[in-house]
Amino acid sequence: MSDIKTLGNGISRRQLIRKGALLTGAGMAAGLTGFPYINRMAVRAQAAPLKFWQFYAPGGQVKSQVDWFTKMIGDWNDSHDQKVELEYVPNAEYINGPKLATSFASGEGPDIFLISPGDFLRYYNGGVLQDLTPHIDDATKADFPESVIANRMVDGKIYGIPMEVEPMAMYYSVKAFEEAGLNENDVPKTWDELLEVARKLTTPNRYGVLFETTPGYYQNFTWYPFLWQGGGEFQTKDGKSAFDSPATVQALKFWQDAVNSGAAPRQVLGNGANDTVANLAAGYCAIQNVGIWGISQLAGNAKDFKYGVFKLPTPANGKYVTVGGGWAFVANAKGKSPDAAAQFCAWALASMDKDSVQRVADWCTKAKSDMPPRNSALQAGGDAFTQGNIGTFAKNIHPGTRAEPRVPPEVYKIISDAIQQSQLGGADPQQTATAASQQLDAFLASYSGAPIL
Amino acid sequence: MDTGMSPHQNKPHQSTPIRQKGLSAKHREWVAGYLFVLPDAIGLLIFLGLPMALSLVLAVFEVNGFGGYRFVGFANFVRMGKDPLFWQAARVTALYAVLLVPLLYVCGLGLALLVQKTNRFNAVMRAMFFAPHMVSLVVVAVVWQFMVVDKIGVINKLTPLLGISGISFLGDPQFALLTVVFVSLWFLMGFYMLIFLGGLQDIPKEYYEAAKIDGASPFHCFWYITLPLLKPTSFFVLMVSMVAAVAGAQAFDIIYVMTKGGPANSTAVLIVYIYQQAFSFGAFGYAAAMSSVLVIVLMLVTALFFVMTKGGRFSYD
Repeated sequence: MSDIKTLGNGISRRQLIRKGALLTGAGMAAGLTGFPYINRMAVRAQAAPLKFWQFYAPGGQVKSQVDWFTKMIGDWNDSHDQKVELEYVPNAEYINGPKLATSFASGEGPDIFLISPGDFLRYYNGGVLQDLTPHIDDATKADFPESVIANRMVDGKIYGIPMEVEPMAMYYSVKAFEEAGLNENDVPKTWDELLEVARKLTTPNRYGVLFETTPGYYQNFTWYPFLWQGGGEFQTKDGKSAFDSPATVQALKFWQDAVNSGAAPRQVLGNGANDTVANLAAGYCAIQNVGIWGISQLAGNAKDFKYGVFKLPTPANGKYVTVGGGWAFVANAKGKSPDAAAQFCAWALASMDKDSVQRVADWCTKAKSDMPPRNSALQAGGDAFTQGNIGTFAKNIHPGTRAEPRVPPEVYKIISDAIQQSQLGGADPQQTATAASQQLDAFLASYSGAPIL
Repeated sequence: MDTGMSPHQNKPHQSTPIRQKGLSAKHREWVAGYLFVLPDAIGLLIFLGLPMALSLVLAVFEVNGFGGYRFVGFANFVRMGKDPLFWQAARVTALYAVLLVPLLYVCGLGLALLVQKTNRFNAVMRAMFFAPHMVSLVVVAVVWQFMVVDKIGVINKLTPLLGISGISFLGDPQFALLTVVFVSLWFLMGFYMLIFLGGLQDIPKEYYEAAKIDGASPFHCFWYITLPLLKPTSFFVLMVSMVAAVAGAQAFDIIYVMTKGGPANSTAVLIVYIYQQAFSFGAFGYAAAMSSVLVIVLMLVTALFFVMTKGGRFSYD
């Protein structure tokens, strides 16, 4: 009997091995001939559309915002060889999730993206923000008020172009006021008055006033004006901590008193204290500390809800000031084509071209309810900035706006812990301010990045 | 009579080992066993072992999250020692584990004892107790968040009936961790009930019958038969629940969704703090150092526990 065993179909094992080897060889040859194609793919990747990561379009919930972004990209792609493509990242994932962080860590960050002042230094110090200045002419530079553009600049160069200014204010429910026998004449002007009115508005099912309680950049952002109103700062001009001050203690104590009195909640609903629909319109609170975007939120999702807005109350002998946040377009200096990305940012939001100005005005009046970051856009918006609640913002609230500070993550965390410990942890505000100030000093002494503003 | 054979050849045939070609049966069985384990081992090596090793390497670098690496030796470990938030997170983690692990053991075993008899009612009850484990952790966290919300949450509507009111379950540092432990327990206890059910069904019924004939009470049966014979299961449950409490998905998901580590860092367990450092602050090197220490501590505690309990084996002393 032959040693060579045959398989069922009559092919011997040796034949099978031979044919298998032939097939493998043919496959490898085909693979080698495929290399040029792979190389061509690499070439194509260089001309691939620039990726623009943001949390508005095309998957966003608000049609006017999706339309604004889609039109902008369409207009650019119609007139430029280098195309841009929108990539939607859900808001919570964009702000608190790992997607952006891991993409940059792996060298695969987006070409264009949005950042807030709170995150500016992390990206700038990481060396991924492209200088946009060469694409912005002097007339356009002058069109941005200093208070709006300063925290996006380093050494006179612009690294981010703001698309909006979002000042903080207080919103109140007309129905809640009426139920408590109050009217618009009772709108509080001082902190003490606010706490007193809030107590009157508090019921077994409703809080009188709501401040942010969840730790994060947003909570710090909403707390800064209360620090500033008493003359407080977290840093002196020579780069040392200024946190241990009566103004800091006063601001920490104000939020603590609001919670301890039972007039302010320890928890917020919905997406957080920036969500007017889930908190104010739902009846969870009667007054809510929130930004100008609340107008479009309520117009879109609680049309029948009656409300008013008023500027932040001030402490005794304090000075009115509020904080203005807002997102900015930035280009990735380590992206596929940093120069083209920078050109896109400037074309979209920072050109004296009529379309660019109108685009900014449309974003602030039609897509959202914001104050424009440019003087020309304020004029282009016309009546939209003089009527209704936006008119109140433009006339009464926005003039006292100070830009959101840009701080490194370490400084953010120290301030955040101080707010949390006094607001919800019941810690003594003076001791908290002192301890936080010592931590700030220790950090600032070794900090070597771009200036903290 | 001389047969011409050597003395060695004179030995009976049975006592002469016949050398077989290749491996012995025992070795072939070993090889087969290892081959079965190999695919899983390769997967573990690639997806767990390698990242752990890389994490350990990353721990000696300062990583800015934008492709910048700088060798810093043990600086990240030194920073850990001086970081009050790290120690606070370690304390919160220890407290979370100390509260959760015994509760999981008692509740898991208790539920298993309640539903161990096989009948239709118990089948329904088993399914109900296990049901939370089939729901996404994020959904669990969001639903409980709504239920315990201040003033208007269903729990806060019910507590006045017990004479308790005004508690902020997630907004007060005194209650936030306890609330998170309770939700974790609710989510996990059905899983441990199933494991204990498996252990209980392995105990021969004859032991209980013999004990009853000798006049043993139900408590005696539990104490002298059930509990000792559940040693291997108990060991497994304690080990797994401890690891879950320190580094489990529920420890992160529930806390991150319900409290983000607040209020005032009262629920910031180590893995939440590590996540913040890595993904919010871009301090990947420092986060890797903390992760490495956490893994090493977990391995040491597990080894110690293994030695102390002899791996949960029966003792015949």
